[in-house]
Amino acid sequence: MREITFIDAIREAYEEEMRRDNSVFIVGQDVRGAIFPHTKGLVEEFGPERIVDTPIAESGMYGVAFGAAQEGMRPVCDFMFGGFSYVTFSECSVTTGQYHFLHGSQHPLPLVITAGVGTGQRLANDHAMSIHGTFAHHPGIKVAMPSTPYDAKGMFKSAIRDNNPVVIPWHMGIMMLKGEVPEPGDDYVVPLGVADVKREGSDVTVLANSLQLQHALTVAEKLEGELSVEVIDPRSFVPFDMDTLLTSLGKTNRLVVVDEDWESGGFAATVSARVMEQGFDLLDAPVTRVTLPNMPVPGGYMEEYVAPNPERIEAAVRAVCA
Amino acid sequence: MALTSDQMVLLYRNMVRADQFNKMMYRRMMQGKLIGFYHPAEGAIAPGVGASTFLNQDDNLSPHHRGHGITHMLCKGIDIKYYLAEHTGKETGCCKGRSAFHFSFPEHKVYMMSGFIGYNFAPVVGWGFAAKRRAQGQVVMNCSGDGSYGQGRAHEAMLMSQNWQLPVIFFCENNGMSIFSTAQEMHPQENIASLADGFGMPSIIVDGQDVFAVAEASLQAIERARTGGGPTFIEAKTLRFNEHDIGTPDLSGWEERSAEEHEAMREREPIRIATERVLGDSLLTQNEIDQIVQEALAEIEAVEQFADESPIARPPVEELMAGVFAD
Repeated sequence: MREITFIDAIREAYEEEMRRDNSVFIVGQDVRGAIFPHTKGLVEEFGPERIVDTPIAESGMYGVAFGAAQEGMRPVCDFMFGGFSYVTFSECSVTTGQYHFLHGSQHPLPLVITAGVGTGQRLANDHAMSIHGTFAHHPGIKVAMPSTPYDAKGMFKSAIRDNNPVVIPWHMGIMMLKGEVPEPGDDYVVPLGVADVKREGSDVTVLANSLQLQHALTVAEKLEGELSVEVIDPRSFVPFDMDTLLTSLGKTNRLVVVDEDWESGGFAATVSARVMEQGFDLLDAPVTRVTLPNMPVPGGYMEEYVAPNPERIEAAVRAVCA
Repeated sequence: MALTSDQMVLLYRNMVRADQFNKMMYRRMMQGKLIGFYHPAEGAIAPGVGASTFLNQDDNLSPHHRGHGITHMLCKGIDIKYYLAEHTGKETGCCKGRSAFHFSFPEHKVYMMSGFIGYNFAPVVGWGFAAKRRAQGQVVMNCSGDGSYGQGRAHEAMLMSQNWQLPVIFFCENNGMSIFSTAQEMHPQENIASLADGFGMPSIIVDGQDVFAVAEASLQAIERARTGGGPTFIEAKTLRFNEHDIGTPDLSGWEERSAEEHEAMREREPIRIATERVLGDSLLTQNEIDQIVQEALAEIEAVEQFADESPIARPPVEELMAGVFAD
């Protein structure tokens, strides 16, 4: 298989889905000129009617996606940076999540929300925050995040074909990560709601996603011979593949959850509670979390030691195995 | 755009129905036979009837929340019994009894209600976008009150609709009040329609107590939108006879609205204005009007019977969980 970058894998998913289904289109700000390269060149093939730029008006921009989805189209709404989705949060979380259920489960809302997220660019809070945990808090919205080029292409395809609102941010820290992806046109999807064991191990399970998955794999490799670390990528937060996690804990009996979100009220807290409820007997040690401390994400050089990083993950792995 | 006699009679019939439905909802709320709250539409029924009566099945409609959209929806051919059943928490409700006061009739392109005033402005852009792309003459009737035009979303929707020449009608039902606050106090200019000028959008200001004037303006805007002429702003100047919602005080600012204000408002009672017109123009006789009222009452009786005889919705949590996501 050829190797391509993570961001190119997303672009290939758009290309193939837009060729496959005329109702798919992308709406955002400066997506024609490709402020991020996942929309690079798309306007040349699909035209400005399907690669749609709006004014800086997030509610109206998201409204294009929301209303068009009600009209049977399959929009992808690109918020550029994840934090910008908060500008229209009542629409893209509350009203979106409740639409299908509250109105009697009679009318699906097939749309995709994406944006670049994450630390590593030294951009500070509003340009660095994660959004998966906040969206996962709102029922009625699927939430997923790919960590490899293969998963990126397959999961974006799944998201576009899904009949529900799917929030699928991508982490800027792995934008240029290369990985094997089947040839263009070789159609495959990665289903939402299925975790993936990225590295097998027997002493401890580390649950990590996106950039943090890369950090976890680095730590696992470093500790090889000393501790056998199993690394699982949840890939989807809603729905979450609890079975894969519990199966792993049946083997390792120890869990470190790495989440590039705040400690308070984040996805790591949800996982920790669920493991307590559903897998308490499997545990030989308390679940440990590696998260962002509860402060706005600082910019500049501080995020290097504030955000989860290989050192903090290694320390947590050692502590939970001690 | 002059109305035909048939169009005027249809509008009159819908006015009577809207008026009687509003009275029924008011009565039921006072009797404790409605879930949630009710925002009575008395005095303000002509805008919805005029805006909605001549829409096609495949036109999008976002009704105003006053009267809980019933005024608008019944004119679009929607059977209100499913909404009353919803509003009473019944299994047969349009949303399976889950939504309290929200409505959804996707087959009539009345997709949703949200409790956020001004929520309509985001999706109408998408409906207009889809309609323009489909190019089959579909239009979007976007009704909301003067208060909703305080939302930034309103400006975003007008901006994008005018940029792209979308077939969206911004239909502002200006009753001069948002809860206790007056439009005079909350908007810098007398006419909300002035907002359209900034976007270069054509606008019409119309007497919202005169259903025929509202319908003429609406038909003009609908025709423009259907034929690719882009959006229109209509401001229907109307009145709110009752308090904001049943049970809240009837204040202007922080003081009781005066008896004089109420008396002056009642001079502009929209049913009476319409009745004088159809009698004056010899479109209907008093006997025919009485017959229309009787038919509306019979329709309402059947609607209430359907809702009252339907079982209360109390599905198990598992069934509800299965409805969170679509297949």
